[in-house]
Amino acid sequence: MALGERAGRLRCVCPLLASLLLIGSNCYAVTSDTSQAIVDRVPRVLILYPYDERLAATTAAGEALRNRLLEAEDGKVDLFSEFLDLSRFPEAAHVARMGRYLAEKYTARRPDVVVALGKESASFISSNRASIAPGARIVAAGFGNSTAENIDLPDDVIAAFTTFDILKTAEMARKLQPNARHLYIIGGSSEFDRGWLATARADLDEFSRSYETTYLEDLTIEEFIERAAHVPSDSIILALTIFKDRAGRNFIPREAIRQIAATASAPAYGPYQTYIDHGVVGGNTVTFDNLGRSLGNLVADVIAGRPVSDIQAPQTNIVDARQLRRWGLAEENLPPGTIQMYKEKTFWEEHWLASTGALGVVLLQAGVIAALLLERRRRQDAESRSRLHLLEAVHLNQSATAGALSSSIAHELNQPLSAIRNNAEAASQLLRTESPDLQLIQQILQDIQEDDQRAGDIIGRMRGLLKKRSEIDWQEFDLNDVTSSAIRIIHGEAERRGITLKATESTIKLPVRADKVHVQQVVLNLATNAMDAMNDAGSRRRILTFATGLASEKAALCVADTGNGIPEERLSRIFEPFFTTKQAGTGLGLSIARAIVETYGGKISAYNRPEGGAIFRVVLPLARQEEEGG
Amino acid sequence: MKSIVHIIDDDRSYRTATARLLSAYGVKVEAYESGDQFLACLPGCEPGCVLLDLQMPGQTGLQIQRQLRELAPLLPIVFLTGEGDIKTGVEAMKAGAQDFLEKPGSVTVLMETIERALAQYERRRAEHERLQELRTLVASLSTREAEVFELIVCGLLNKQIAYALGISERTVKVHRHRVMEKLGARSLVEVVSIAASTGLANQRAERPEI
Repeated sequence: MALGERAGRLRCVCPLLASLLLIGSNCYAVTSDTSQAIVDRVPRVLILYPYDERLAATTAAGEALRNRLLEAEDGKVDLFSEFLDLSRFPEAAHVARMGRYLAEKYTARRPDVVVALGKESASFISSNRASIAPGARIVAAGFGNSTAENIDLPDDVIAAFTTFDILKTAEMARKLQPNARHLYIIGGSSEFDRGWLATARADLDEFSRSYETTYLEDLTIEEFIERAAHVPSDSIILALTIFKDRAGRNFIPREAIRQIAATASAPAYGPYQTYIDHGVVGGNTVTFDNLGRSLGNLVADVIAGRPVSDIQAPQTNIVDARQLRRWGLAEENLPPGTIQMYKEKTFWEEHWLASTGALGVVLLQAGVIAALLLERRRRQDAESRSRLHLLEAVHLNQSATAGALSSSIAHELNQPLSAIRNNAEAASQLLRTESPDLQLIQQILQDIQEDDQRAGDIIGRMRGLLKKRSEIDWQEFDLNDVTSSAIRIIHGEAERRGITLKATESTIKLPVRADKVHVQQVVLNLATNAMDAMNDAGSRRRILTFATGLASEKAALCVADTGNGIPEERLSRIFEPFFTTKQAGTGLGLSIARAIVETYGGKISAYNRPEGGAIFRVVLPLARQEEEGG
Repeated sequence: MKSIVHIIDDDRSYRTATARLLSAYGVKVEAYESGDQFLACLPGCEPGCVLLDLQMPGQTGLQIQRQLRELAPLLPIVFLTGEGDIKTGVEAMKAGAQDFLEKPGSVTVLMETIERALAQYERRRAEHERLQELRTLVASLSTREAEVFELIVCGLLNKQIAYALGISERTVKVHRHRVMEKLGARSLVEVVSIAASTGLANQRAERPEI
């Protein structure tokens, strides 16, 4: 252990090595001569990692170095990485083999700079320098001069040190605990530990005067734990290193500190990044990232041929946010630029802008959704009400149609009934004769059956026409069938009025999905309308034409008459409720027809035929269109 | 010669049933599905009466009736109707329909109506034949006799007739006697009656007084 050039401040230099085996102390600086800049080609930099790639510390530092270097060289640098794996293969044979292997591997591409991360890498490259990278500049990172001496680093090796300053750590603790009255400093019994304690005593000489200061040293680990657990709550505990306790047991310092800090009755601080996550609040230290960047700058200088000397990696205050919370320490008291690890930033802190926006959007969405739901509910209510109204209107309309057709239907019914009666009378008369013609009687009975069936059909159609619906009876049917059944219903009326019915049925099926009775009602409305139109016009040729067919993937029905047509100015209003051109009309027939057609996703329209008369066109979507298509 | 009932109804079932019924009662029947079909058969068909459905596609019952009045004025027409349509009924009766039958009606009513219609036909036919005979008799008169006949019917005295025709009263008497003899009339009243039946009286009534 030795004091550095700058009095009052001890630089504790230690290897970066991942899980931080703190090995050395003291400060040493190697001043290097300037060297030639590499100009003729892209410089080659070999980074030696002591262990394998899973070691976070070296990997993080190495990654920071690479990034910094690529940035500084604008990408014009050839970077090589070698993982020496010396912790799992410490044997001399492996080291020698590695040396031979790398020497051969880099024959054609000798590195211009070799960066050795950690002590093992530095030792390795020192011994194999001549074979692997003769003439290359060596930059060693993360260890102090005493170690360098031990491994006999050549003088021209440039080193990046990491210095650990206990006073800065103590000052951070003071800021966090302005009301603290007690100061405890913990150190182990190894030579390094003792050296650290001496340094700390010197560094903290002035600082400790404000406190009731106790140095906890020369204790067993159990004693450390016990003492720390009973310090007053207004205490600051500064943990240095414990490589060995009084009983001579060896420790990885962070593990010892973890045990102590776990049960300590006051916050503990330490100058190492590795202590973070082991129970300390934090300290002033060098981060791997900072070390890597510093190395990057150093290597860039070497490549550029600028004069370089040993450097100190910049220090940072670093705290464990979880420990701040544990001890109730105020975040605002942290020195500026302090890095908070494990900070579970509140969602608000981290994404206030995004979350405000998101919240706004969510609220807006929620509002819109609520409004839509409300609207949907209202619409459903309104729809069900209007459906009910529609159903009622349709039923009234059906009744009206039935009323209007009643005389022709009665007449139609009369035919088979009269025939039945006459046939029956004829049969009974025949039976009174001496030798009745049984064959004829047989024929008569058969005819009676047929007429009875006919009468039953007429009544069935009438019943279908008058059937009241409380809800839509969805079914799939052929539009052709409904058209023919409507034609059967009105044919008597048409005959009575001297109207000729013509029907052109589509040869293919026109499956639609709707309430059959409703669609039939549409056809009946259009048909009765057309018949009325021809009556009013007093046309001589009274022809009512029905045509079904496929029109652009939809089922279409046209009802055409030979009346006077619809006056152009009324064409647009003809489907409005209560709009009628007939003296006795309610003006509901067409509006109900439209309501029905639209309920089933269809359209109804009216035109005038050039040759006179009107034509109404109903289009309904085809059911199972995909199957039809397939 | 037995009279025939012609049934004209578009409804096959009713037509057949009614035909069967009438046949069972011993009435000769011919059935037609439309008025046009009946009209086509009319020249060769046997007389009797017509059962005509009022409501038919194509020509309606009333239209057929109108044509039958021209073509077969003697045929009595009984309309068949399913509904009591007063307007059509009145129209049909005015146009000379014999009767109206409602569908369905009892067989008794049907048979009575048919019998009445056939009897009517017989009467009409007898009347028609008598008229034809009289016309033949009138046609057998000589020109001078016809002239005298006309003037007798007009109520002129022999002297006046002689003056009007520029012949002697005696000659008029001879003609007058011949006329009465040819027409088989025993009195002046009978001569006038014959003139009225054959439509001569009306024809000459407006003849200006000389």
